[in-house]
Amino acid sequence: MAVKKFSSKYEAAWSDADALLLCLDTGSWRTKRPVVNKEKCSYCGLCSIYCPPQCMVTKKDYFDPNLEFCKGCGICARECPRSAIIMMPEGDFTP
Amino acid sequence: MKAKEGELKVITGNSAAAYGAMLCRPDVVASYPITPQTEVVEQLSRFHADGILDAEMVEVEGENSAMNIVAAATLAGGRAFTATSSWGLVYMYDAVLQAAGFRAPVVMANVNRETPGILAVSSGQQDMISTRDAGWIQLIVENSQEILDTIIMAFRLAEDYDIQLPVMVNYDGFYLSYLAEGVRIPTREDVDKYLAILKTQPQRTILNPQKPIGAGSHGILTEFMELRYKHCAALERAKKKLDEIDCEFGEFFGRSYGGQIEEYRTEDADIIILTSGSTVGTTRTVVDAKRTAGLKVGLIKLRMFRPFPREKLIQTITGKKAVGVIDRSVCFGWNCGPIYMELRALSPEIGRIPIMSFIDGLANIDITTPHIERAINDVHKASKGEPYQEVTWIPLEEYL
Amino acid sequence: MVEKVKKLPKLFQYFKDEDQFAGGVAFCAGCPLELTLRIMSKVLGRETVIVGTPSCSAPVLYGQNIGSWHRLPYYSCLMTGVASSATGLTRYYRKAGRDVNVVCFTGDGCAADIGFQTLSGAAERNENIIYVCYENEGYMNTGIQRSSTTPRGATTSTTPVGPAGRGKTTPPKNVPLIMAMHHIPYVATATLSNMDDFVRKLLKAVEKKQEGFVYLHVFTPCPVGWGIESDMSIEVCRMAVKTNYFPLWEAENGIFRLTHNEVNPEPITKYTKLFRKYNHLNDTELAVAQEDVNSNFAFLRHLTTFGTKDKNVKK
Repeated sequence: MAVKKFSSKYEAAWSDADALLLCLDTGSWRTKRPVVNKEKCSYCGLCSIYCPPQCMVTKKDYFDPNLEFCKGCGICARECPRSAIIMMPEGDFTP
Repeated sequence: MKAKEGELKVITGNSAAAYGAMLCRPDVVASYPITPQTEVVEQLSRFHADGILDAEMVEVEGENSAMNIVAAATLAGGRAFTATSSWGLVYMYDAVLQAAGFRAPVVMANVNRETPGILAVSSGQQDMISTRDAGWIQLIVENSQEILDTIIMAFRLAEDYDIQLPVMVNYDGFYLSYLAEGVRIPTREDVDKYLAILKTQPQRTILNPQKPIGAGSHGILTEFMELRYKHCAALERAKKKLDEIDCEFGEFFGRSYGGQIEEYRTEDADIIILTSGSTVGTTRTVVDAKRTAGLKVGLIKLRMFRPFPREKLIQTITGKKAVGVIDRSVCFGWNCGPIYMELRALSPEIGRIPIMSFIDGLANIDITTPHIERAINDVHKASKGEPYQEVTWIPLEEYL
Repeated sequence: MVEKVKKLPKLFQYFKDEDQFAGGVAFCAGCPLELTLRIMSKVLGRETVIVGTPSCSAPVLYGQNIGSWHRLPYYSCLMTGVASSATGLTRYYRKAGRDVNVVCFTGDGCAADIGFQTLSGAAERNENIIYVCYENEGYMNTGIQRSSTTPRGATTSTTPVGPAGRGKTTPPKNVPLIMAMHHIPYVATATLSNMDDFVRKLLKAVEKKQEGFVYLHVFTPCPVGWGIESDMSIEVCRMAVKTNYFPLWEAENGIFRLTHNEVNPEPITKYTKLFRKYNHLNDTELAVAQEDVNSNFAFLRHLTTFGTKDKNVKK
């Protein structure tokens, strides 16, 4: 049986992140998104520490979610000591 | 260039296995006791304590861990060895499958003991048979010298870049494990020279921090099938590779064993007896006696069980008049011996000749010369066209 | 306008490397496992090999064919083979003279049940491994089945509540305490609400790993399995610590100490009312639950009284 080309050069089930780093479009999961009030934010960093996908990124003097990967879990809004983050329905925003 | 003759020592089969492993300088050795293998790991532990063996010795809490440890060590780039038997082998079965699936070049000595189902602390090949679909290379040896030599060849075979498969070296428990005979022990420098070729081959894929390569991806759809295909293809390549390795071993150390099978007086034979393990030694003497009496019988010693040496067997058996297979185990569901059953699959190529199954030697019942004579006589009668019994349980024949 | 605290919290200094995981991976929204893994990957750095098992973490730790969800080398094992495979790796790296963090990352189902033998064996042999067990009190990936660390009274799919069933009938195994009895250099419990404590223990784990086996038991609630909203994960951790249900302690070379002292612990009902899995408990059962928490904590407190007063002395 002539096999033209194998999809992997490996003999066993090795994966190679250099060859292919997979990524899911988890931003499409959410039904709510966090909205940060820049004035209220005290830059304490707790939202960034507690965010499971670690997608709260620093914008110099406040934190903002990376909407590509934010799953809309709402932990940042609950944990914020200044209530500077509110979860808004995703439908409110134009795609 | 030839190796030195090596020191002659009178040692048991288990000791020979330990010497074989020690000479190859393994990095990691896992030890767990089980009769009849215990002496292998005891001897290796003694080598380590005496400063002869520089390896990481891991005294594990169970055989399952033993296999996981040695498989992981080889995937990290090392050389690893362990030994087990019957229940230990089936307890590590999930790890055995893991080692094969990951193509981890582990070498394991399996000292054949009866299993599964009926508790017996005695010899039998059922343990090897019950793991034949694991995807390992399985070799069977006849005497202590061959144990030592085959373990060295096993490392050469397992770690070969074209193969990368785990190898199980089987030998009869109680018959070979505790029998002391004269064994020539090569020097470590000579074994280093023999295995040096592995260092000239490309580096196999290993788990290396700083490189984002992971072992054990989820195989999905055609990619999974590709890996199975590659595994089967590697097993096929192992046949010819063993023959080559055996030749090289013979040229260097002065001892060779025929590779996949050994043919003893088969060229002009009318009938063939096929068997494996320590039984071969007894069968040789019976074959010689029958030859003197005028019967043209030949012996095939099966050395490689997995992959099954189809081409060699077809080549040797085609043209013969009948074949008898002596099995030290049973094939559940086919009511015959397992090696017989596999040989029978070659009938279309061999031709419609009587192929007969003899089940003997379970649980330390000695396969003595009268048993083998009985088998040869039956095969001879069948070769002349007389009606024959396909499966014979030799020790039970009196009352069956 | 609020006075800006311009400096980031001290925690950020402990991050040795950037997060090695891809941005979007298959964890449920609000899953504490995702947080644990990402923090670990930042703190431990790249000289790390992760040994995983089929579990909630497997779809992310293991690749798919040639692709991988992260940039760390990993070894995917069966549940029976995690600690033993890690042993093989660490022994070889030791022989080859490499200092590698071999990290096992498994759930409580593997650590306490099916993989317990190998875990106990590896700990007794004092292998240089960091074993992180995430405690979500059950087999979550297969659909919320009970494990031996599931608490008494909890609803699971194999201990459901009905006329003939009141949830799990037996109390859970205390795995970190059992591991401490193996006389390993370091055992600690941690959770995500006390992140400073967790990261400090991770750094200690890397240091103590040179001496031998390190076991970390991390409390990670499962939003799906426990019946909580996805935003409550950290709050549940916090309440578990506040009620002394999950005390934070460490044992260094056999000397126990609490790393967090709850001065006025809350009643257990403040914890159990947070999620659905305890909805069915009546007052008697809740009283039993409180009694369990009290006696477990008293036992732990008693253990901390052994050993020298100077906690820095190595035995």
